[in-house]
Formats: sequence, C-alpha cells, structure tokens
Amino acid sequence: MIRLLRARGLLVAPSWTAFLLIFVAPLVYFFVVSFWRVSAFKMRPDASLANYIQTVTDYNASILFTFLVALTIAVLVTVVAFGFSFYIRFKVGRFGDTFLFIVLITLFGGYLTKIYVWKTILGENGVLNSALLSLGLIRDPITVFLYNPAAVVITLGHYTLPLAILPIYGALRGVEDTPLRCAQDLGASHWRVVRDIILPQCRIGILFAFTLTYLFAAGDYVTPQLVGGPYTSMIGVLIQLQFGFRFNAPLGSALAFTMIAIALLTVGIVAFALREWLRPRG
Amino acid sequence: MNARATLWHVFGWGTVVFMLSPLLILVLFCFSKSSLISFPLTGFSLIWFETLFARGAFWTAFENSLTVTGTVGVVSTVIGTMAAMGLSRMRRRFASVNIAALTLPVMLPPLVLGVALLTYYAGVGMKLGLHTVILSHLVFTQPFVILIVHARMANFDYAIVNSARDLGATPFRAFSSITLPIVRPTVIGAALVAMALSIDDFIITIFTIGGGNTLPTFLWGMLRKGVNPSVNIVGLILLTVTICASLIALRLTRYRG
Repeated sequence: MIRLLRARGLLVAPSWTAFLLIFVAPLVYFFVVSFWRVSAFKMRPDASLANYIQTVTDYNASILFTFLVALTIAVLVTVVAFGFSFYIRFKVGRFGDTFLFIVLITLFGGYLTKIYVWKTILGENGVLNSALLSLGLIRDPITVFLYNPAAVVITLGHYTLPLAILPIYGALRGVEDTPLRCAQDLGASHWRVVRDIILPQCRIGILFAFTLTYLFAAGDYVTPQLVGGPYTSMIGVLIQLQFGFRFNAPLGSALAFTMIAIALLTVGIVAFALREWLRPRG
Repeated sequence: MNARATLWHVFGWGTVVFMLSPLLILVLFCFSKSSLISFPLTGFSLIWFETLFARGAFWTAFENSLTVTGTVGVVSTVIGTMAAMGLSRMRRRFASVNIAALTLPVMLPPLVLGVALLTYYAGVGMKLGLHTVILSHLVFTQPFVILIVHARMANFDYAIVNSARDLGATPFRAFSSITLPIVRPTVIGAALVAMALSIDDFIITIFTIGGGNTLPTFLWGMLRKGVNPSVNIVGLILLTVTICASLIALRLTRYRG
C-alpha cells in the first residue's frame, strides 16, 4: 500500500516540481520584490510600501480605467457567449454542431494575429473603411474606428469570446429538456424558465467565463498598445513599461499585484451577486 | 418563422460572422498583390510569400519556434500524462485539489507570469534564451495535458491493467503494453494542444527570450517596423498551425464541450 502511494506520488512529482520552481517560486520572489526599491538601475532589498503608495496615488486613473474597460469586455462577452451557447443548445437545430466546431477551431492560438488583423480592419486606410468607400457608403475614411477604448473592447472581445462560450455551453449541455417542458406546460414564461431553471444550472460556467475574460482583459497590454491609441493607458501597458525603458521591476510588481488584488475582489463580488440573484425563489 | 426566431438567427449568424471574418480577411490579404491592406483588391499574387521566405531572420525564428514547441510538447506531455495517471488513481477529492492548484497558471494574466519569470530568472542569475522560454512554457501548457488526460482516465477500466499485473507484468510493462495503447490518441491530442499553445505564445516568450526570436516575437518586430503584407503570412502560418493542431486534437480526444 505504501509502495503504491509512493509510486503515485512519484508520478505527480515532476509536474509539481515544475509548478513550484517555475510558477510558485517566481511569483513569491516577484511579490517580495514589490517591497524593494531601485537605485542606480539596480534593485535593492527593502521593506517599504512606497511602490504601492505610488501605485494608488500616481496610477489610480489608469487602474480605474483598466477595470472599467475589462468589466465592459467581460460583461459583454459573457452575455454574448451565453446567448450564443443558448442559441446552439436550443434554437439552431442541425447547424448546432457546425457552430460549436467553428468556436472550437478559433479557440487555440492566433493571439497576436487576431489583434493585428483588427488593426488592419479598423485603420484609417483599413479593410472596413476601404470597403465602405468602394461601396460608396461613405465619402471620407472614418478615423474613429481605431485607437480608442472601443477598438480594445472589440479586439479583446473577439479573442476571448470562444474561451467564454466553451464553459457556458458545457453547462448548458447538461440542462435537461424535461423540466423546461414541464415549466412551460405549467404556464411559465420564457424568461421565467431561463431565470429559474436554466441560469441557476449554468452559474459556475458563467462565472468561469466571466473570470477568464475579465482577468485576461485586465492584464493584457498588447491590445491597448496596438489598437488602443495614446489615451488608452491600461495598467498592463504601465506594468510592461517598468520592464523596458523605465526598468523599475519593484514598481511593476506592485502594479501587478494591485491589479490581481482588485481583479480577485471584483470576481468575488460578482460570484456573490450571481449566487444571490440565482438563489431559488419561493 | 416568427420574429423571435428570426432575431435569434440574426444574432447567432452575426456572432459566427464576427468570429470568422477577421480570419478570412487575413487569409484573403495574404494573396493580395497590393502592398496596402485595403479594398478594392487589385489582383492576386504570391509575391508576399517570396518576400517573407527570402528573409533569413524568418527562418531563424521558424527554427527557434520548432525547437521550443517540440521540446515543450514532449516534456509537457510526459510530465502532464504522468501526473494525470497518478492523480486518476488517487482519491477523487484529493485529485481535484491537485488539479485546481496545477491549473492556476492558466488563470493568471500572461503578462504577470511573464514579468514575474523575467524578474526571477534575473534574480537567480539565469541567462535568458530558448531554454528559459521552454521552462516558462511548461508551466502553462502542462495544465491542459493534465486536464485532458485526466478526463480520459476517469472512465478508464483499471481491471485490465490489474489483470496484467496479476499475470506478472511489471508496472512499466503494464503501462507500455496496456494503458498507453488505449489512451494514446488522447495523449497525442493533449500534446498537440500543448504545442499549439506554445507556438502561439507571445507575451511570456517576449519577456523570457532575451535576444532571439520565435515566430510570434518576429511578427511583433515586423509590426513595429510598419505594416507590410508579409506580416499576414506569418500570422497565417501561426493560425494554420494552431488550428490544424486543435482540429486533430479534437478528433483524437473526441472532445465535445
């Protein structure tokens, strides 16, 4: 018995070693660094909260803006993902598998590619403008498509949508038809059926989709840099800067951990609100 | 068809168009003759493929990508499969706690993982290069291998393995001639998913590579120097590789949502 347990432990050991050495240790070290300071381009061990104080005093506008953008993306994507999963599960009929297949093939990969394609679509001389021009729908190129928060929402929304659809569809697939029919036969409205039978069964899937999208959007820096324009200063861009030109890893670390803390807090609040809202009613 | 149903179809098809059209536009403009990425199309040619393939830097990045992805694919699959096998024979509750922990790297924004690893490697005095990229990729690819293989092992019939053991097979023999042949498609599928994630990764790679380039960081470099349609082709290569890998993986693992 003990030999067996040891053998099973050994099987898991390499994974745990990688996890501890290349994930836990770096994060712990990185967290410790947030209390250090930088002088003459070198990190000096310290125990100060200066970086956190600077984070909340100098960058509070960016932080607030980042979370507004991330929240917008996460809410929109979760709602669309639920609608689309609902459509595949209940409305579409024979195309359902095809649609799910399309979602799956756009799931893995193409991160940088997808962001960059949106830049070429939305640009002043881009695909969308030139198409509208040659169709004669507009006379002059529209410049407002690119370099604004809306472009960030569209681009990140496009990237995260398949990620959000999968867990929600997974949950919806488990919803059985019979109780839905019963409720309808007993006179429940469409909305009542969705709200009281379907949504409570999808709560975890919805929360998972929201969390995934929200964390990804809050922590992304490539999208705001490529399509966001100069006024879209999201926290990811600021973090990334501390590891480039500014070389201030301690401040970057404080920014990163502040971001994670706020993100977890929001997810906690959303989880609580969702549970309260979907609590069975008498 | 009533109005409600029509609305649903508009929404559903609209979502599909939204998801697919950027990818189709990318493919279309790989073959466009013009150096501008805009309509109307003036003609088709393969000139941008020639431009790209004539660049030595592209091939270096390509080789680096192959090295990283190949190594990550093998190592991640081996350690992930081992872990999944071990976990599948442990108590369910204990196993799910393990899996939840090991899956944490996927939830962390890649930027945070990237800069944390960069700081850590600098702190322990490790020189950056392809080896640090490979190490870093293991952390976020192995959770997928563990999840996929563990899901397969959930309805695996251990009776046959136990019979083999009773008949005197060593644990290794039982694994290589019974367990592995049965779960091989799933393991290959998991490897392909790990490789698709690795070859496409940009954020963690750019922080941990130091000097050189893989395909995504090469693409990034091209983007910063001004857009030229051969950028599309690097994008197309990454997209094709990842989509093909996930398609084959889907078939092999019979994953359905």
